Amino acid sequence: MGRRRRRVDRADAAGALPAAIAALSRTLPGGPSPETFRRAKFDRPEAAPALWRLLFCVLSPVPADGAAASPAPVAQARLVKSELRSQGYPRGSLARLPEDGSQGSRELLLALSWLLARGPLLEQLLAQTRVRLGDEMPVCECEALASPGPPAPHVEADGCVDVRHLQWLMGKLRFRWRNLIASQQEQCALLGKIHSYTRGCHSDHSLGHLSVAEAELLRDPEGGRQLLQRLESENARLEAALEWRRRELVFWQWMDTVLGACPPDASQPTFLPRIPARGASELELVAQELQALQEELRKAAEPRRAAWEARVGGWGPEWKAAQRASEEAVRQELAALQRSWEHGGGLAQPHGPHRLVRSEAGMLGGPGLPAAKVITVLRSRKACLEVALRQLQGQCRQELARLAGALPGFIWIPPPGR
Amino acid sequence: MLPAGCSRRLLAELRDALDACAERQRQLERSLRVSRRLLRVWEPAEPPAPEPTPGPKTNEEAGSPARTPSPQDLKELELLTQALEKAVQVRKGLSKTGERDRASSLKSGSVASPATTASAPLHTSGRGGSQASETKPPRGIRRTTVPAKGFPEHRLLSVGDRTCMGRGARAAKPGPGLRDQQIAPSAASQSPEAFTLKEKGILLQLPMAFRKAASQNSRLWAQLSSTETGDSMDAAITAKTQFLHKMQSGWPGSGLSAAEVEREVGRLRKACSLLRLRMGEELTADPKDWMQEYRCLLTLEGLQAIAGQCLHRLQELHAAVMGQQLVPWPEGRLPSAPSFCGGGTDTIWSPQLLLYSSTQELQTLASLRLWVAMLDQQIHLEKVLMAELLPLVSTQKPRGPRWLALCRAVHSLLCEGGEHFLTILRDTPAN
Repeated sequence: MGRRRRRVDRADAAGALPAAIAALSRTLPGGPSPETFRRAKFDRPEAAPALWRLLFCVLSPVPADGAAASPAPVAQARLVKSELRSQGYPRGSLARLPEDGSQGSRELLLALSWLLARGPLLEQLLAQTRVRLGDEMPVCECEALASPGPPAPHVEADGCVDVRHLQWLMGKLRFRWRNLIASQQEQCALLGKIHSYTRGCHSDHSLGHLSVAEAELLRDPEGGRQLLQRLESENARLEAALEWRRRELVFWQWMDTVLGACPPDASQPTFLPRIPARGASELELVAQELQALQEELRKAAEPRRAAWEARVGGWGPEWKAAQRASEEAVRQELAALQRSWEHGGGLAQPHGPHRLVRSEAGMLGGPGLPAAKVITVLRSRKACLEVALRQLQGQCRQELARLAGALPGFIWIPPPGR
Repeated sequence: MLPAGCSRRLLAELRDALDACAERQRQLERSLRVSRRLLRVWEPAEPPAPEPTPGPKTNEEAGSPARTPSPQDLKELELLTQALEKAVQVRKGLSKTGERDRASSLKSGSVASPATTASAPLHTSGRGGSQASETKPPRGIRRTTVPAKGFPEHRLLSVGDRTCMGRGARAAKPGPGLRDQQIAPSAASQSPEAFTLKEKGILLQLPMAFRKAASQNSRLWAQLSSTETGDSMDAAITAKTQFLHKMQSGWPGSGLSAAEVEREVGRLRKACSLLRLRMGEELTADPKDWMQEYRCLLTLEGLQAIAGQCLHRLQELHAAVMGQQLVPWPEGRLPSAPSFCGGGTDTIWSPQLLLYSSTQELQTLASLRLWVAMLDQQIHLEKVLMAELLPLVSTQKPRGPRWLALCRAVHSLLCEGGEHFLTILRDTPAN
C-alpha cells in the first residue's frame, strides 16, 4: 500500500508539483530557485542559506527593499528564530540549528510551510511591497504602527540624567508634532491642487484625476519607466500568487511526505530563561488601568443602587415588566459594546490604506468611503483619548497634591487656567 | 539626577517616540518635495548642460540674454506670465471669481483641432466643450509623441499656445530653447510654453503601457481579494489544517504565543478605554425619569462587571507570560498605540477609495489622524512617566530645594503636558 501511494505521489509530482513550487517561488520575495525546495526536502546544506535569507525576508518587520543592507547571517538567523518563537512556532528543532546559516534546510522548509499554512502570508507580503500608484491615506493607525520598523540601536551609555533633560526631550517631541501637523496641512493643500488641476485626466473614471505618482511619471519619464517596470513585475507576482492558489493542494500533499521524513521533534523548545520585563510591565500598566476603572465604577454604582433600593420598595407588577425590559435593553447594549473590541470588532471601523479621490460635493455616493465618515470616527476617537489623558493627569495632580499636603510651610500655586 | 534604571527606561521611551515622529516627518518631507516640484514649472529630470552660446532667439527683455535663466528667473517669469494671463482673462470677462477650475476645464474643452499627431482625442472632462469653443478661438495645442528610450508610448504635451503668446507671454518668454528641452525635446522648433500643472494639467494623459499595466494590476488585486473558492481550494484548506495539526503534535500545546498575548492585551487596552468613555457618558447624562435612572444604574453595574472580566482575562495572560516565558513586545516593537480598527483581520488587500470633497476636508481628516496618533503616544508616555516618576517623588526623603525642584518638574510633566509650571511659595509665618 505504501508503495502504491508513493507511486501516486510520484505521478502527481511529475507535473503539478514543480508547477506549484514554481508559482510559489515567483510569488515569494526575491524569487528563490524552485530547486531550493527540492533540495530542502533532503535536508541538503546548500539549500540552507537561501532559506534563512527567505525566512528573514518574510519575517523581518520592515519589508527589505533590497537597497537596504541585509544584516549578517547570524543576525538574520537570530531574528528568524525569535520571530518564529514569538508567533508560537511549535518545533524545537529549529531553535537548535546553528546560527551561521549553514544547516537545517528541511527544518526551514517546514517553518516556511507552517507560516504559509497559517494565514494569508503571500497576500501580506505582496501588500507590504505593493506599488503605490494613488495618494494614500490610512484611515486608522494600525498601519503607522507597523511602519517604523526596528529603531536604530541606541548606544545606552548615558547613565543618569536630570529630570530637566526629560523636560527638554518632551519639549522637543511637542515641537516635532507641531512641525508634523504643519507639514501635513501643506501636503494636503498641495494634494488638493494637484487633484483638481488634473481633473478628468485619469482613464479610470472612478478615480477621475491623477495622483502624485501618476503626475510624477509624466513629469519624469525615466522615473515613469521604472514605475512601469515595478508595476509589471508586481503583476507577474500577483499572477503567480493566483496560480499558486489554484495549485497549492499538491504542495501540501508533498509537504506531508517531507514532514513524514523528519525525525520526530524530540523535545519542547528550550530557550534561555529570560525575564520578560517589558511584557510584564506592559501587562501591569493595563491591569492598573482596569483596576482604577473598576474602582471608579464601583464608587459610582454602589450609592445609586442603595438609593434605588430604598425607593422602589413596594412597587407593583407593571413596574416589574418595565424593569425586565430595561434590563434586557441594557444587556444588549453592553453586549454590543463588548463585541466592538473582541475579535475584529463588531463595529465596521474603516481600516487599511485608502486611495484619496477628490470628488465634487454632488458626486459623492459612488463606491468609496466618504471622508466625512472617517472624520466622525476620528473625532470621537480623539475625544475619547483626550478624556483618558485628562483623567491620567488629574490622577497625577491628586497624587502630587497628597504628597505636597504632607509638607507644611509651602503654598502650591497651580498654573493659571486649572 | 534620576536613578540609572529610571533614566535608561525613560530615555529609551522618549527616543522611541522622537524617532517615530522623525520618521513620519521624513516620509512627509519626501512627498512634499515631489508635490512641490509637480506644482512648479516642469523641468527636465536631468538639468540640461548649460549652453555656452545663446540660442537663435535671444530674449532682450529678460535682461541677461547671454546666460541660461536661473530657476529663480524662470519662476519670476512664470509669475509674470500668470499675472498677465490673468489680467487678460479678467478683461475678457471670462474668469468669474471662484470659478478658476471651471475656467481651466473650459480651456481643455476648447481643444477642438489638435494640430498634428493628435489623432486620439484628448481626454476632456466632457463639460461644456462646445460652448467654450464658441467663446474662445481654438488654441493650437499639439500633442507630440516623444520617442523616449524604453517608453515609446509616452506622450508629452507640447503646448504651442499661440493665443497665450499673443497675450503678452512672448515678452516673458525665457531664453534659448530651454523650455523646449524641458517640455518636449522633439518639438524644439515650436518653442512651447512652460508647462505647469495649474495651466495645463488637465491635458495630461497617462501613457498607454502604464494604463494597461495599472488596470491589470487592479484587476489582479481584486481577484486576490475575492473570497470565492473552488473544490481544489477547499481541499487545500483542509490539507493545510492537517499539516498544521501534524506540526503541532509532539508539543504540548499550552496555547498562547507571544504574538497572541500582544493582540489580547491590545484588545483589553481598547476595552478599557471604551469602557471609560461609556462610563463618562453615563455619569454626565441627566436622567429625565425613574426609568432612565434605573437604566443608568444597570449600565454602570454592567460596565463594572465587564471590567472585572477583562481583569480576569489579563491575569490569565499574565500567568501565561510568566509560565511559558513568553516575550511579548520584543525590543523594537512599540506597545504604545492600540489599533482601534481591529486591524489585521481583513481580506481586502487592494486599497479602497476614500472620497473627499474639499481641501479643507482633507486637511481636517489628516490633522485628526495626527492628533489621534499624538494622543496615543502622549497617553503611553504619561503612563510610563507616572510609573517611573511618582514613586521617586514619594520616596525621596530629603524634602529640601532639590525635592521641590523635582516636584515642580514632575508636576509640569505629568499634569500639564510639560507646558505650564507650578509655583511654590515658602510660607514663612511672620513672627
